[in-house]
Amino acid sequence: MIESKRHRRLIANIATYTVLVSLSAFCIGPMVWMFLTSLKYEADIVTQTMQYIPSRITFDNYVAIWTQSGFPLLIGNSLVVTLLTVTICVVTGTLAAYAFSRFAFRGRDRLMLGYLVVRMFPAVMVIIPLYVVMRGVGLVDSRFGLALAYTSFLLPLFVWMLKGFFDSAPRELESAARIDGSTRLGAMVRIVVPLARNGLVASSVFIAIAAWNEFLFALMLTTGQGSRTWPVGLQLMVGEFQLPWAFWPPAASSASSRSSFSSLSSNEPWFRG
Amino acid sequence: MATLSIKDVRKSYGSVQVLHGVDIELEDGGFLVLLGPSGCGKSTLLNMIAGLDDTSGGDILIGGRSVVDLAPKDRNIAMVFQSYALYPTMSVARNIGFGLEMRGVGADKRKRAVEDAARLLQISHLLDRRPANLSGGQRQRVAMGRAIVRDPELFLFDEPLSNLDAKLRVEMRTEIKRLHERLGTSIVYVTHDQIEAMTLGTKVAVMKGGHIQQLADPRTVYERPANMFVASFIGSPAMNFLPGRLVRDANGVRFEASGVSIAMLAGKPAEISERPVILGMRPEELKVAARDQASVTGVIDVVEPTGPETMVTVQVGDRSVMARVPPRFAGQRNEAIFLAVDPASVNLFDPDTEQRIDI
Repeated sequence: MIESKRHRRLIANIATYTVLVSLSAFCIGPMVWMFLTSLKYEADIVTQTMQYIPSRITFDNYVAIWTQSGFPLLIGNSLVVTLLTVTICVVTGTLAAYAFSRFAFRGRDRLMLGYLVVRMFPAVMVIIPLYVVMRGVGLVDSRFGLALAYTSFLLPLFVWMLKGFFDSAPRELESAARIDGSTRLGAMVRIVVPLARNGLVASSVFIAIAAWNEFLFALMLTTGQGSRTWPVGLQLMVGEFQLPWAFWPPAASSASSRSSFSSLSSNEPWFRG
Repeated sequence: MATLSIKDVRKSYGSVQVLHGVDIELEDGGFLVLLGPSGCGKSTLLNMIAGLDDTSGGDILIGGRSVVDLAPKDRNIAMVFQSYALYPTMSVARNIGFGLEMRGVGADKRKRAVEDAARLLQISHLLDRRPANLSGGQRQRVAMGRAIVRDPELFLFDEPLSNLDAKLRVEMRTEIKRLHERLGTSIVYVTHDQIEAMTLGTKVAVMKGGHIQQLADPRTVYERPANMFVASFIGSPAMNFLPGRLVRDANGVRFEASGVSIAMLAGKPAEISERPVILGMRPEELKVAARDQASVTGVIDVVEPTGPETMVTVQVGDRSVMARVPPRFAGQRNEAIFLAVDPASVNLFDPDTEQRIDI
C-alpha cells in the first residue's frame, strides 16, 4: 500500500519535472542560442548545416558592435528615454494612483475604466495622431518626446497596478501620520509609499522593460541618430544587400542583459509585488 | 489639558444624515465615552473631532478654540486607533517619536521624551523592535506611547481594546484609567463595550442612529436611563421590562401588572394620573424575599449559577424576568419564587415614546 503510494508520487514527480524542464528549455533555448551565436565567426553563422555549439569562439562581434557601430549611442538613448519614462510615470502615476485610491470624487470609477480602455486599442492606432501632435509641439526626434509618447500608454497601466498596492495600505496609518503632524502629501510620501515600495518597484520595472524594448513609437518618432533607441537602431542595421548576422546576437545580448539585470536586481519586490 | 465643546455638529453623506445635531460639553481633564452599537455615528464623531472627517455643520472647540477649519496636525490632539496604526517600516522608538519628529523637536529632546514615555508604559526594552515583532498588548502600549509623548490637549481613543483578548483587555483598561488619572488630560473614548464605558468614563454619551440618547455620568446612565434603548443597552444582563399600569389607591401610587405590585415612591402622588407604563428593573435589584414582603411573584424557569452569583429566569405572568441572586440560591425549576424590589431603584417608561417618566 505504502509502496504503491511512493511509486505513484515518484511518477508524478518525474512527470512534473519533465514538463517544467521542457518548458524552461523552450523559453531559455532561444536566448542560449542567441548567446552562442554571438560567440561565432560570421562564417560559422551562415552555413549549410546548423552548428549549435560553436567550434571556435570569438568576442570580435562584441568588440565590433561597441566600436564600429552607433550602438553605444543607441543604448545611451534607450537608457535616457527609459529613465525619463519611468521618472514621469513614478511622479505623476504615484500621485494619480494615490488620488484614485484615497479620494472619493465624481467619475472616479469611470475615469479608471477609461484608463483601461486606452490599453484596449493597439498602439498603432494612435501613432499617426501622436506623430502629428508631436510634430506640432516640436518633439519629434527628441528623447523627451519619445518618453512622453511612452508615458501616454504606459501611465494607465502604472496607475492601475499601483492603485492596487495603495488600496491594500491601511488608511488608519495615514490618519495617524496626519494627526502626528504630517500633511496628506507628507503622509503619502512617508507612510504609504514606503509600504507600497514593492509595488512601486515592480510597476517601475514593468514600465522600464516596456519602454526599453518598445519599437513602433521609436521607429515613427525618431529620425536621427541623436534620439534613436536600440531596437530601431538594430533594425536599421539591415542593409539593402546584406544582413549583419554577426552584429545582431551580441547587440541583442548586450541590450537584453540590461533589462534582465534591472529585473533581477529588484527581484525581491517584484515577486512580493 | 483642555475642555471640549461639540455644538450642534452634523454630518451628511449626500442625502444620508448620519449625525443629527450633536451637543456635548466635556470638562477639563474629563473622560468622555462615546458608547453605542455599530453604525450609531460614534466613530464618525471621533473622526470629526480629530479632523479626519469634515463636519457638515456645527462647531467643535478644543480648549475654547474652534478647530473645524484646522488640519488634524494643527488640533494638538493624539489618537489611538483600533488597529493601533503603528508604522510598520519604523522601529518602536521612531513610531513613538514620529509626532515630535514631524514637529521639528531635536533628536536629543525627542530621545528623552520617547524614553520617558516608554518607561511610563514599561516598553523600554522594545524600543528597537519593529511593530511586526510585538504582541497585541505591546502594540497597544506603543500606540499609547505615541499618543502621550506629544503631551496633547486631548486624547482620542477609537475602540483601542477591541483587538485584545479578554484578559489583556481588562489589564489595558486599568492601564488607561491609571494613565488618565496620572496625566489628567481630557480623553474622548469610543467603544461599544458598556463595561469600558462604565469603568473609564467620567461622562458617557450613549448614541443611536446619529443622536445622543443620553449624556451623563456612568452612574446616572445606569440607574436613571433616559429611555428604554439606554436602559437595555447598558447592563448585562439587560434591564427587565414589564408593561403594566400606574394606579392610585389610599396608600399612594402603585405599579400593577400580572404578578407584580410595587408601591412607588412618588414625589407628588396627587398629580399622577393613572396610566399604562413600562416598569424597568435591574436584575440585581430583585431580592429573594418572604411571600408577605414580595412585590414580584413568579415561577422559576431557569437557574444559572455563574460562581460569584446565580442568574434566575422567572416567569412573571406572560413575561420573563431575570434576577441576580446570591450564589448559593437553592430554588428549583417550576418552584414559586417571591421577589422584593426597592421602589427607589425602579424606572418607569412611557410605552409610546419609550422615554423615561419621572414621578
